[in-house]
Amino acid sequence: MSAHAHADSGHGAGHNPFEQHIHPPPTSFFYKYIWSTDHKVIAKQFMWAGLVFLLFGGLLAMMIRWQWAFPGTKVPVLGIFLRRSGGIVTPANYQSIFTMHGLIMIFFAITPLLIGMFGNFCIPLMIGARDMAFPFLNALSFWTFVVSLVLIVTSFFVQLGTAGAGWTTYAPLSTNVGTPGLGQTLVVAAIFVTGAASIMGGINYITTVIRLRAPGMGWFKMPGTVWGLWLTSILNVLFIPVLGAAAILLILDRTAGTQFFIAGAAGVQGGGDPLLYQHLFWIFGHPEVYILILPAWGILVDLVSFFSRKPAYFYKGSVYAMIAVTVLSAIVYGHHMFVTGMNPMLGKTFMLFTLIISVPAEVLFLNWLHTIWKGSIRLTTPMLFALGTIFVFGLGGLTGIFLGTVSTDLYLHDTMFVVGHFHLTMAAAAFLAIFGGIYFWFPKMFGRMMDEKLGKIHFWGSVVFITLVFCGQMLAGYSGQQRRLYDPFQYTYIKHLRSLNWWTSMFAFMLLGFQVPFILNFFKSLIAGETATQNPWQVGTLEWTHASSPPVHHNFDVIPTVYRGPHEYAHPDAQRLLGKDWIGQAEELPSEPHGAAAGGGAADAVAGPVRE
Amino acid sequence: MAAGVSQKAAAVTMGDVVPYRSPRAQRDWTSYLGMVIFLGSWAVLFAALFFSYLYLRAHTPVWPPVGSPRLPLTLPALNTGVIVLTSVMMHLGLMAIRRRRNGVGGTLLLGTFALGSLFLVLQTVVWLRMWDQGLVPQAGQYASVFYALTWFHAVHVVVGLVALLALAVKTWLGKYNAAKHGGVLLWTIYWHFVGVVWLLMFLLVYLV
Repeated sequence: MSAHAHADSGHGAGHNPFEQHIHPPPTSFFYKYIWSTDHKVIAKQFMWAGLVFLLFGGLLAMMIRWQWAFPGTKVPVLGIFLRRSGGIVTPANYQSIFTMHGLIMIFFAITPLLIGMFGNFCIPLMIGARDMAFPFLNALSFWTFVVSLVLIVTSFFVQLGTAGAGWTTYAPLSTNVGTPGLGQTLVVAAIFVTGAASIMGGINYITTVIRLRAPGMGWFKMPGTVWGLWLTSILNVLFIPVLGAAAILLILDRTAGTQFFIAGAAGVQGGGDPLLYQHLFWIFGHPEVYILILPAWGILVDLVSFFSRKPAYFYKGSVYAMIAVTVLSAIVYGHHMFVTGMNPMLGKTFMLFTLIISVPAEVLFLNWLHTIWKGSIRLTTPMLFALGTIFVFGLGGLTGIFLGTVSTDLYLHDTMFVVGHFHLTMAAAAFLAIFGGIYFWFPKMFGRMMDEKLGKIHFWGSVVFITLVFCGQMLAGYSGQQRRLYDPFQYTYIKHLRSLNWWTSMFAFMLLGFQVPFILNFFKSLIAGETATQNPWQVGTLEWTHASSPPVHHNFDVIPTVYRGPHEYAHPDAQRLLGKDWIGQAEELPSEPHGAAAGGGAADAVAGPVRE
Repeated sequence: MAAGVSQKAAAVTMGDVVPYRSPRAQRDWTSYLGMVIFLGSWAVLFAALFFSYLYLRAHTPVWPPVGSPRLPLTLPALNTGVIVLTSVMMHLGLMAIRRRRNGVGGTLLLGTFALGSLFLVLQTVVWLRMWDQGLVPQAGQYASVFYALTWFHAVHVVVGLVALLALAVKTWLGKYNAAKHGGVLLWTIYWHFVGVVWLLMFLLVYLV
């Protein structure tokens, strides 16, 4: 795979309507690594930013867990960041810590990793494009995101500290009445800016998928990963603006003295309405939940099929299920507001729509199980993470039913049960899927394999303890422990949950400990991992069959022509004619068994690169 | 005869399955799609702002609240006329460029810029007058809605004006021409969008 762009410049790209322009790779350091318009570089930029902030958010979580296990005692190691209070988490610190844990994890860890990294890396490579539709906008999206990171980091160093109104930033707590100080304003501004970055990314992903698919890459020949990311982008583009509107109004309330969200503060003229903020927030907030899980679902559809060596069961059904969830996610937000004095009739309607979502979710779930059923399962690290994701998502999904139902939600609302539930879906499922994806695409991104042994240690430690942590939280919540309590054991009725909380905290610390194998593995593999072949997993999607590891700047020397779907495994014709259990998406079946040619595969004559 | 027909049909199915479009036309189409998606997204943002306004209004017994000064109608109505005129003018500019009349096109774009600036001037007069009558942003919901919506719209007008100036210059210099004017097209769509938002704003904030 030493052939380069100029090698095929004689192809007459202008004659093929699908052929895309080949831009020469940048040579200066600045354009190569900083302001790069290459989707693969931008994916890695999002990855680094996301992983650093994932660790940051994780350490904040450890401080919360410490506080719940040993309230008011000196925090070991991390205490150095709490110098002013002598290493102890004070109530004010505590507010900021859980607020920033939530915001950082959602907007600055999961979003860049799941959407920024996988979206950028996978979409062009999997659909057979040379880059995104708008490479400049793509770079702009990343650097806008960096601006929001700067705002977030700055907010920690201003007077009165960073935001403290909870990740939901509910008014009036988030107005000057509840959280005076610049920190909260900076964080709200950061959310607006990061939202703008997400919208830029979303526009790019949607357009790229519509316009730049390789010839033959029909909608139902796209890998599940691309479907998941595409639907997520649609939700992003439609609903992040609503959060943007809420953020603008909140910033105006905080800085210009307008009164959108402060009740009754305006005397005779009447003030704003805090409930308006909740409406705006959840109109965005509920789709956001699916924004964070749809790419994971898409990745699962692919990984489960790839490593069961079977076609994805009822693939179209999985895609339609994801579309159905995308549509339904827009009309269920009211279940977050059952206790706000909502009209009972409206509450019931929201409950109905919410519970209906479990139908398409169930279709997806059963399709995954059916795909695994009787497959020749290869328990590689990515597959283990995929199975782990299915497990924790199942738990999260089932416990969601209690919260979507009005009668049970009235009791469970604002308890640790809610916290455990949404962590199982948004945190556990999203992160296990992210790790699965990293283990899977790492060879393609960096040209080196990750260590399977460390990967498996990381997997078992993570899946066991992440389940225990969040199930522990749900138990505490079911027993009545409210969420966000600084010292829960001040309340007599929670006192007996002390040992449960202690154990949950221990599990959380173990969970953090088991991330060490990942960090070791990541850097070890990056520097000295085994060199990856072009297609180490023997799968048929374009990034593995037609791009080298790592891909060249323009991805494909010739844009491949796609003949079939992404999940062609255990195909008898392939077995007979090619002597292997899979067919590439752009691989033509020879009319006669192809015995002599080493490496097999007629399509490679077109593609050029050697497969293994 | 029959053979001829079938041959023709075969040519259609075997040959140009994908109608030929020049790479530039394809890229223009892609940019157009991206702009439409962006404006769709931004329309939701404005929709959320309008929703906030209507939500607050629906929860207030009297609107405008007792004691609030009435918003003027004449100047905003005049401004509505101005904004409609700018949209028409910009569209004519685009047409002129398409008909290879760059000089006319550039002048029309500059005219759009001038009228757009007039819009901002008139809007500023309205703000100042209301401010003098005591309608400051801190004066309650009514003022909040008025300033938040009009400010946010004005920001979009300013962005459009900066672009218009650049477009006019580039058209005169021949950087945009009949064969290559994707940028003008995209900004025209944007400007129409800002105009439509103003029409809704005039209707919802000033009129009803």
